[in-house]
Parts: sequence; structure tokens; C-alpha cells
Amino acid sequence: MELILASAECDPAHDIICAPTDVNELFEFREAIFTIGGFPITRTVVLILMIAVIVSAALYFGLRKKSLVPGKFQTAIEGLVGFVRNDIAIEIIGEHGAKYAPWLLSVFLFVLVGNLYEVTPAVNFPVTSRMALPVMLAAITWVVFVVAGIKRQGLSYFLGIVWPTSVPIALRPLVGLIEFFSILFLRPITLAIRLFANMVAGHLMLTLLLVSGWVFISSVGDIGARAGIGIAWFTMGLGIYLFEIVVIMLQAYIFTLLSAVYVQTSLYPEH
Amino acid sequence: MTLEAAEALKGAIALVGYGLAAIGPGIGIGIVAGSAIEAMARQPEAAGIARTTMFLGIAFTEALALIGFVLFFIA
Repeated sequence: MELILASAECDPAHDIICAPTDVNELFEFREAIFTIGGFPITRTVVLILMIAVIVSAALYFGLRKKSLVPGKFQTAIEGLVGFVRNDIAIEIIGEHGAKYAPWLLSVFLFVLVGNLYEVTPAVNFPVTSRMALPVMLAAITWVVFVVAGIKRQGLSYFLGIVWPTSVPIALRPLVGLIEFFSILFLRPITLAIRLFANMVAGHLMLTLLLVSGWVFISSVGDIGARAGIGIAWFTMGLGIYLFEIVVIMLQAYIFTLLSAVYVQTSLYPEH
Repeated sequence: MTLEAAEALKGAIALVGYGLAAIGPGIGIGIVAGSAIEAMARQPEAAGIARTTMFLGIAFTEALALIGFVLFFIA
């Protein structure tokens, strides 16, 4: 249980719930395990590299033998790939959607596995709850949808944002200003923060309920029958655990869905 | 209120601000989800489109609450 205690310094025997001393812990990486050529390898970095291994291995072994009657594993992997390709890429973006399917699949699987670390026993740490990762993914999405817009419409993509011809001329400066900030700034920021905030909130809830429940239960000698509170907290933590699995899948889906929608709006601005 | 008292209460005030920022999106998500359920009940064959659009609507409405969440942290 020490693995998922919020902060290593605090002593659970005296402080039941220890607040993190500094909120910046959420935005910075923890101390390095080892260093390669001045580049510190932290636990987060190891977990990120493991995502690449897990996703590559699942795709390789799932689709290695394309048998006509697929086994269970192949069915599951084909279902995931087909879901992203048909239900997200082609359905949202349209006829050009299949071109963006590999990128969307990479984003979906990366976010999904990164989120699933939250409920993996002995890991219990969603790497997407470190701000650097969602920001990087959102920056990639920003580049993809801006480049898609420029390739499709040329520089009139930006003109279409700041001077929308579909609204009355008196409103165009105001709507253009709002659209400019909303599309080029708020979209990537909210995309990153949505994933980050959901993962941080879930991680904190699980940590607080499970760890403090466990601490209460194990301190039965100190505080007697009041340790029964711990059982209620721990049970509630297990309920939140199931709820978090739903949130994890939903957030991976929503991240991919919104990326596809942003690309779609750059390709077909009038829709 | 002195400056030190305001400084000591900063976290509590930020928390109240986040609570206020969550009211509007809460009502908005309720309306979005309620309308989506109504649409799905009236036309079950269009449930897929309604569900996708519902998630999009929730995601856009939620953005305001998320901005409040961030302001709570950086306040």
C-alpha cells in the first residue's frame, strides 16, 4: 500500500490523511530512477515506454495471423481497430476519414493504456495525470487540425476563422474574435485539461478512499471500534474503482472523438 | 479584512470560485443528457448518432467547469 500513498514523507500512524505539500507535484516528474546521458529516467518515463511496448505487442500478436475465423484475442483487437476506424474516423470526419485512422488509433490506444494504469494493481498511477502528456497529445492534435485546414483551404482557413462569412456582417468582427480564441487556443487547452483533470480527480479519489480506509482498518488496535469507518470508506473506494474503469474508457473515447471533430471542422468549415 | 487574513483564506475562496464555476456546466450537462435520452427514447434507431452528439455536447459544456478547475489550482 505504500506504493500509492500520496506523499512518501508523511507518517500514516500520526497523520491519517496527508495532503501533498506542493500542488506542483502534479505538473513535474518525480525523482529519477536512473539517468542515461544526463536524461533522467523517472517512473513516468518507464511507464510511457511500457505503453509503447504493450500497444505494439497487442497489435502485433492480435493481427499477426489474420485467420478467417478469428480467435478471442484477434476479435478483441479487430474490434478496437474497427471501432476507431469506422465509428470515429469515418463517421465523424467523412470520406477522408480513413486517412486519419492510424493517428486516431495511436492516440486512442496510448490514452487508453495510459489511463488503465490507474486501475492496474501495483501500478495505480495514470501517466495521463501528469500535465506534460495531455499537453503533448493536444499539441499534436492542434498541429494535425491546423495543417489539415491549411492543406484543404490554403490560407483562407485562417481568414474563414477570423472573418466568418456565414454570419451577418455586423457580427463578423465579434464572432471572428471569439472563434479565433476558441479554435486556436481554447480547443487544445480544454482537450488537454479534460483528460488531465479527470485522471487527477479519479486518482485522488481512489487514493484517499482506499488508502485512508486501509489505514483506518489496520489501526483497529489504536482507535478500537471506530476502525469500522474504514470498512465503509474502503467499500466506497471499491465502488469508485469500478466507476473509474468507465471514466477511463470514456475519456480515451472522448479525447479521440474530439480530435476527429476538430479535424472535421477544419476540413469542412461550413458544417 | 486584513491582507494576511485574505492570504490565509485564499484557498477557501478559490474553492468557492470553483464551486460557482461548476453550477452552469452542471445544469448544461443535465440538459444535454436529458435531451439525448429523450431523443434516444423517441427514435431508438438513431441512438448511435444521439449518443455521439451527446458526448460532444457534454465535452464542450464541460470545458467551462474545467477552466474553473484550473483556476482553482493556480489561484
